[in-house]
Amino acid sequence: MKYSKYFAVLVLLIASVVLPNFLGLYQLQIMNFVFVYIAFALSWDLLLRSGQLSFGIAGFAGIGGYISVLCGYHFALNPILCILIGSAVAGIVALLVGYQVLKLRGLYFSIVTLAIGEIFRVIVRNLEVTGAAEGILLPNAIFMGNAFKTYWLMLTIAAVTIIISILFKKTRIHYALTSIANDEIVAASSGVNIFKYLVIIFVVTSAIQGMAGAAYWQIYASVTPEGAFNLGFALLPITMALFGGVGTTWGPVIGATILSVTAEYLKLQFPHGHLLVYGFIMVVAILWFPRGIMGVINKITAKFNN
Amino acid sequence: MAILKTTEVSRLFGGLAALIDVSIEVNENEIMGIIGPNGAGKSTFTNVVAGVYLPTSGKIEFCGQDITRNAAHEKCHAGISRTFQLTRPLVGLNLIENVMLGAMFGRNHPMETARKESMELCKFLDLKNIERPISAMTALEIKKMEIARALATKPKLLFLDEAMAGLNKNETMDMIDTVRKIHSQGMTIVIIEHVMRVIRELTHRVVVLEWGKVLCEGTYDKVSADPRVITAYLGEEAEC
Repeated sequence: MKYSKYFAVLVLLIASVVLPNFLGLYQLQIMNFVFVYIAFALSWDLLLRSGQLSFGIAGFAGIGGYISVLCGYHFALNPILCILIGSAVAGIVALLVGYQVLKLRGLYFSIVTLAIGEIFRVIVRNLEVTGAAEGILLPNAIFMGNAFKTYWLMLTIAAVTIIISILFKKTRIHYALTSIANDEIVAASSGVNIFKYLVIIFVVTSAIQGMAGAAYWQIYASVTPEGAFNLGFALLPITMALFGGVGTTWGPVIGATILSVTAEYLKLQFPHGHLLVYGFIMVVAILWFPRGIMGVINKITAKFNN
Repeated sequence: MAILKTTEVSRLFGGLAALIDVSIEVNENEIMGIIGPNGAGKSTFTNVVAGVYLPTSGKIEFCGQDITRNAAHEKCHAGISRTFQLTRPLVGLNLIENVMLGAMFGRNHPMETARKESMELCKFLDLKNIERPISAMTALEIKKMEIARALATKPKLLFLDEAMAGLNKNETMDMIDTVRKIHSQGMTIVIIEHVMRVIRELTHRVVVLEWGKVLCEGTYDKVSADPRVITAYLGEEAEC
């Protein structure tokens, strides 16, 4: 049982390396969505493990996207460097905002994270340097649009997120975050510097979201205010994480994979009603397996072990 | 020698004064009891000293240092630890992990050292099957686990907020032995308690609170004979 876990990871790794050889351009493009949503859903879940419900994905992905495209447009920097700068800026914004916002809890925190995206959307809409309402168009997409290379880039970003999640589960930070989520008074009385750990996790998850957003918009070689700060970037990953099962590393990964592939498939099958079917799947999932797919898997393995 | 010294500490909740000018000293290596009727301010006092609330006015000194405005985790690092009146286990962690929390963040131990020390503490407090989830533990075990979690921070001063509440007679005896065992290791302990027998058996000195003020202090025999205390607190017992 102990080794089956490593075996599964190995299979997954080999599959993701071999996969592009069997996929066409369109499927590779879908895989990019899958990896972006894995990064979004898992990073959102990472923050949720500290008990904080964030809608900030849209904001930080947008900041990362805008900064990386701006770096490419104004300074003609290497796209990879642009993505890293976008990620860093998203992290710095999270640090500055977090220093104030992380004193808030519950709904108040959630509402402010929701506002971050809106504030930046209004700012970029009204600045010349960010291309105002039209946004910015880059002369070339990242890797000149080579679908294989973008696949590896997005796979790396998803893998980095997964590795961070696994590391956070296995180190001291897991205990700090769980204690904060369970009972802040106990956490503080046991010596946990709550504010420090919340700032750390908020900055890390925001930097991941900034990185994924930056890579996403580098593939499109453009950004627009409405596109980059689209609230769908906040809501879809949350649904995916809930569908897969929150509080685990593989739950959001599975949820993001299944739901983004399903969404694409439904778009092809029912061009006019795909969101209806998507919604139906969500309702069924919430009614029959509220703990997500990982909840079902855990239940089955527990039965086997008994 | 006083390890903890509060000088005219007050705490207001809006218009309600939960503590009024409370000056208490806790001496090194003693077991001090805090008693008083419901709402006297016993738990508020613990919360103010441990940093859950900051005092509205007054001064708190610990080991000669002013820690009045320090946050809860800083007070923990300074060496003040506590358990809770209503048990507050972290349900997301199991028995040993709950204890490890104190060792990791109270003392900045790496995980391995924390686990080793926590296992020793569990042995010391007679906690078995340390990988159990909280849902598989009895009330007494959870109380002991919380004491272990508090001890894992290696405090100089331990507050036990109603450690016997909700326990039956045998469990109470067990708990009294446990407190003695901890004290024999050189720990300074403050116990807040409603069960008078526990106060009588364990404490060297008792402070009585009423309506947020110190009513009197002294040995159990002296305090329990004080007519003011009998009216305020033990009066009910005298009737039956």
